[in-house]
Amino acid sequence: MFGKKRQKQKPDDAVIQQLMQIVGDSEVLYLKEDLIAYECDGYTLSKGMPKAVIFVKSTKQVSDVVKYLNTVGIPYIARGAGTGLSGGATPLGGEVIISLVRMKRMLHLDLKNRKAVVEPGYINLKLTQSISDKGYYYAPDPSSQYACTIGGNVNENSGGAHCLKYGVTTNHILGLEFVLPSGDVIELGEEGIPDRPGYDLLGLLTGSEGTLGIVTKITVKILKNPEGKKTVLAYYDDIGDASQAVSDIIAAGIIPAALEMMDSIAIEGVESAAYPVGHPRDIAAFLLIEVDGIDAGIEDQIDEILTVCKNNNVREIKVAKDEEERGLWWANRKMGFGAMGAISPDYLVQDGVIPRTRLPEVLAKISEISKKYELRIANIFHAGDGNLHPLILFDASIPGESERASKAGSECLKVCADVGGSITGEHGVGIEKSAEMRFIFTDEEMTAQTNIRAVFNPEDLLNPGKLFPQPGRCVEIKREITKVVVS
Amino acid sequence: MIYSDIEGVLPAEQIKHNAKCHSLGNDGNQIMEAYSEEDISKVLSFAYQQSKTVNIISGGTKRGYGGELEQADILLSLGNYKGIVEHSVGDLTLTVKPGTTLREITEELAKHGQQVAIDTPWPELATIGGIIAANDSGPKRLLYGSARDLVIGTRIVYSDGRIIRTGGKVVKNVAGYDMNKLFIGSMGTLGVVSEITLKLRPLPSFEGLSLLQFPQGGQQAIREFSMQILDSMMEPVSLEILNPSFAEKMTGNRDYTLAIAFEDRKKAVQEQEKWVKNHVPIDAKHCVMHEEQARRWWEKFRHFGPNGHNDEEYNDSNTQAALKIGSNNFDVLIILEVSERLSKEHQVTTEAHGGVGHGISRVFIEGLPENIVSYIKALRSEVERRHGYVVCTHLPFKLRKLVCVWGEIPPYFALLEGIKHTNDPNRILNRQRFVGGI
Repeated sequence: MFGKKRQKQKPDDAVIQQLMQIVGDSEVLYLKEDLIAYECDGYTLSKGMPKAVIFVKSTKQVSDVVKYLNTVGIPYIARGAGTGLSGGATPLGGEVIISLVRMKRMLHLDLKNRKAVVEPGYINLKLTQSISDKGYYYAPDPSSQYACTIGGNVNENSGGAHCLKYGVTTNHILGLEFVLPSGDVIELGEEGIPDRPGYDLLGLLTGSEGTLGIVTKITVKILKNPEGKKTVLAYYDDIGDASQAVSDIIAAGIIPAALEMMDSIAIEGVESAAYPVGHPRDIAAFLLIEVDGIDAGIEDQIDEILTVCKNNNVREIKVAKDEEERGLWWANRKMGFGAMGAISPDYLVQDGVIPRTRLPEVLAKISEISKKYELRIANIFHAGDGNLHPLILFDASIPGESERASKAGSECLKVCADVGGSITGEHGVGIEKSAEMRFIFTDEEMTAQTNIRAVFNPEDLLNPGKLFPQPGRCVEIKREITKVVVS
Repeated sequence: MIYSDIEGVLPAEQIKHNAKCHSLGNDGNQIMEAYSEEDISKVLSFAYQQSKTVNIISGGTKRGYGGELEQADILLSLGNYKGIVEHSVGDLTLTVKPGTTLREITEELAKHGQQVAIDTPWPELATIGGIIAANDSGPKRLLYGSARDLVIGTRIVYSDGRIIRTGGKVVKNVAGYDMNKLFIGSMGTLGVVSEITLKLRPLPSFEGLSLLQFPQGGQQAIREFSMQILDSMMEPVSLEILNPSFAEKMTGNRDYTLAIAFEDRKKAVQEQEKWVKNHVPIDAKHCVMHEEQARRWWEKFRHFGPNGHNDEEYNDSNTQAALKIGSNNFDVLIILEVSERLSKEHQVTTEAHGGVGHGISRVFIEGLPENIVSYIKALRSEVERRHGYVVCTHLPFKLRKLVCVWGEIPPYFALLEGIKHTNDPNRILNRQRFVGGI
């Protein structure tokens, strides 16, 4: 199906030549064998061949490239580390990928005013690592933080395990420089000063999945490390009891830094992966609860958590005895998605959000979906903020299973939407969930959003076909999904 | 005659001819009182079709905030569209109608040990709709954030009467654009907020307030102490500096004063207060308040500055104004000093406070109109030199013509205009209320 495009990818292609002029010959990939790695991001069920991949080094290069691509009418996509889980950086076919991984410097660090300025290709974890010796950190911590870029985080408005207390990316962005599809360079929130007069474009750009502009510089808020931190692991025989404990902890006036849950299938996965903790195999679920803050206040909160868990029939509960044990528990948890590879050839991860009080009934419905499609579904949740990650396990080599997995995933999202929730809490809509946008928004409401897109991206050349359902094309993508094997 | 066609849009008792124009402007020839979202939608559909301009009001505390239009055709009042739609205690979320005052919300939530963590002025008058539309905030934004961190969903009536939902009712949500953000601080120029869903917090189990009073010339000590606490692992909820004239009204002492709030478990609050005690600079006076006493202090704090709810006839000598200033965190102290120095030069009296951890300062001014104008211009030039901004959050209508309320138009103004045009093509909503006359 890509035969025609391959023709265009000759080195003498005028577009490729022009791109080489702007960014340098060695910074352009155009041969099919070089482009395969860019066919998709972390969401592997949909793939498309880009026309070229270019590596930019400066805001000016981004602007020049964008201006040129506009003149020739070729669509383009900004890409960071490609760890996104909804296909936001995946081509539909024929786009130029503008890779920002070479723009990876920290430009400025201002501890006094608690902010740092980084380029979009700067890796999330590296930021915390580079300021930890001074006692500071950057709060948003997606599971992929060792690889994902802050530019990508801004575009996806990424979350993480600790956003229950500290918020998601949007709560930590003070300023952005971005290149509009016109090529104009815009600076928002100069010097990271809050509430600058005008509509909150900073808030609008964050989480816009690369459809409004290409972010080239980011001012982030950095925080002081908490004085103390305690982590609790609670094992449950009944998932309903574990869910109730989650609600009761919040109702007790405690806002844990993290409140995570895993069910038995997920536990089977993480125990078979790189960081086994030795969780009992016969439990229904565990809760991983972390409290941080002023040392003197933590003990009381831990006591209350222990009481709540015991009141909800916990089988066993323990507090991490040292940093090493805490680290192992977290490594085990953060391996969650990848660990599914140990128990299933393929898996599809979903990202629904529900009011946390509806957890027991939603879990029951997910269990019914699992039975209906005859597919095992593992559940990993940021339970504290109601963000569910059902992991649908399947074998793409069995005819029809990929299709069933995709349908089961969509049904899980429908359940979330029906209880007043959302189809995505942190992974974004991308290609994957564009059809499911209809579960939560009317056509009129989506038009209100696409009208805003048109203000920034009138020709829709920047990351086209993402976020919003597109009649016809959407069906094709869904069909394509069923053909592809993931592992 | 012109308005005969208005009859029938809402029942007669909800429409009132407005004979007098408020000294702060932002008024309307016909006052239309909305009791429901449907009422809002009907008024806007009518206005859209008939090309009538609409000003929006509820508590009226921000009537002096922006606006170059003294009188619109319609003043749409949301003050009676109030009440809690849904409080999901276990989910820590609240859905509320825009005309509900912050006080009403606070009292209802307190019954369940919860709060909306917004500490804006005049809570018994200011409504949640107005607070969100103006993106108002108080000293405790240092730890709790501002409106943009708390609003998770809205229902908006667009200028043509369409009802559009943004966000949702869950605390974590990245489906589609974060449209909530567009309406926060948009001064009602993009749509009328008809419902707001907010993220709540539990009420703190213990509250403490440490006041440090620094004698004349102690600014360097404030700076050093503030840097020290911000570089420590303490978690102050506020780190607000009061200038001497404001401090005098609050405490009786005309000293630069630092108000440090702690809200946590009792033991954690006490531990942090101990830290403060151990680090109090020589010469600074130190006092501590707890619980009810601390709450009363903050309550008093929230009742300073001009308030557009009052329709007082100002004579020239007691004209009032208020400014919001944004700067780098550690420029706050400099800005407070400059604001004080300039007040002498321009013969106005000022009271001011600012958050050294969040970079927002407030200056309240009183004096002759011409002096207020020259004072604002001089202060703005000093602030802009430090890359900050000055917005006039309260000014009589006639002075708003003389001082640019919002300061310089940003270089990306075309985007703001584009968004305005998308949502309100006929420019009927709060016309000329916002940046660059949007």
